[in-house]
Amino acid sequence: MNALEVRNLTKAYPQFKVDQISLDVKRGYITGLIGPNGVGKSTLIKMMLGMVRPDSGTVRILGCEMPAQEVEVKQRIGVVSDDCFYYEHLSIRDMQQMIAPFYRKWSHHTFNRYLEQFELSPNMKIETLSKGMKVKFSLAVALSHEAELLIMDEPTSGLDPVFRRELLDLLANILQDEHNSIIFSTHITTDLDRIADYIAFINRGKLVFSEAKDSLLERYAIVKGDLQLLDSDIRKLFVGMRETAVGFEGLVEDRQQAAQLFGEHVILDKATLEDIMYYTAKGGRIHA
Amino acid sequence: MLNLLRKDFIALKSSLWMTLLFLVVFSVAFIPKLEVSLYLVGIYTAFASLNLGTMIDIKNHNHKFLVTLPVNRKQLVQAKYIAAIIYTLFGVFASYGIHTLVTFAMPELHKPEYSAIDLLAPIGIMLILSAIYMPLFYSLSKKGAAIINVVFMIILIGLAQPTAIVMNMVKEKGISDDPMLILVLIGVLLLFAASYFLTVHLFKRKDF
Repeated sequence: MNALEVRNLTKAYPQFKVDQISLDVKRGYITGLIGPNGVGKSTLIKMMLGMVRPDSGTVRILGCEMPAQEVEVKQRIGVVSDDCFYYEHLSIRDMQQMIAPFYRKWSHHTFNRYLEQFELSPNMKIETLSKGMKVKFSLAVALSHEAELLIMDEPTSGLDPVFRRELLDLLANILQDEHNSIIFSTHITTDLDRIADYIAFINRGKLVFSEAKDSLLERYAIVKGDLQLLDSDIRKLFVGMRETAVGFEGLVEDRQQAAQLFGEHVILDKATLEDIMYYTAKGGRIHA
Repeated sequence: MLNLLRKDFIALKSSLWMTLLFLVVFSVAFIPKLEVSLYLVGIYTAFASLNLGTMIDIKNHNHKFLVTLPVNRKQLVQAKYIAAIIYTLFGVFASYGIHTLVTFAMPELHKPEYSAIDLLAPIGIMLILSAIYMPLFYSLSKKGAAIINVVFMIILIGLAQPTAIVMNMVKEKGISDDPMLILVLIGVLLLFAASYFLTVHLFKRKDF
């Protein structure tokens, strides 16, 4: 069963368009939403949450239609973003008192436990929190009302490496309950290398792929070889390529095909999510 | 709905003293000078409080946070319209209370006796002002809303004297038992209701 289903979601701006995106987030798994900055990840997430009205397309979250059943949906989801828009002049305790009554399943005990774990004092004012602390606070809020789906928009971008690692462990723990699901948008792909089960890649407003991370990493490969191996037909096999004076390095979508074609003449490496994102975003030929 | 009103109270709790400050400042400014000070103190206090209550939500683009809460946009607007009614009643009744005190404590100011009908005028005017202000507030950006607040305050200050003159004329004509009064009141309520539906429509179309 899917925790989230997006169908043909489209939103056009004068300079930019999120174009006909269809995407499923499977229940019980972490789906990473990757893509360079400014390609539409945040817009897509905002459309899922009803913050931005799509020009066309539909969104179903936890079996409920958005925006028709948004109140019920929002009871069951948690939103964590690097952009926090809480009341800056209030303390964490005030914000808790403000937010808690809105949720049927709010647990003060859980909230206080997370505050302690994240080393946040209830008396701290929101305006005094660093970006990373704000993410921690919004995570504490999201985890204190038994959210079944966590929607996280660039949550790790303001975090130090220590808490980033802790956060990833925490997310993995949340997934111990197979009813919980996470969609995690980021351009820091190493975070997803660690925890994601599925990867959806957005580039220039379009969905490039959405599939299991393991099969993706098995399918794609980095090919390194001598420039003499390249001709116009061979170049077409590459998703993206980087050429230097001594050779080339490129991403191919079909590892087996590349292995058969080049044999022992090249080095075939495993592609990382960053490689896939980089070469797909850049495309064509890059001279270094 | 109660949660949203409670949310406003928590967000405003450190600035609630300003509402009392408005009341004192407008009372000192209008009561000794104008016969229709009951209306002006009530309207100004209520409108300044409404400004405070709306601006608190956009100070740090807080609508972006509010729309992630388990409420819909219609409920967010509904709560603000109810808050506008509360500010109106607070402003007008606080003004009435102060005027009653002044009548006893400072008889030399010769403030007139006020009836329940007298309270309807500032309530009606405040509902009209809210009906115009709210759709503008919810359709404009943070900067636009701040400009609208300033514009409204300037208009209110500019209209103080003409309003006083009109109010005096109305009082002299004695329309308290005129059927026109009922029609005007119904018109004001219809305008307020129409404004609510317009604001909901505009706010639902807004992207965050």
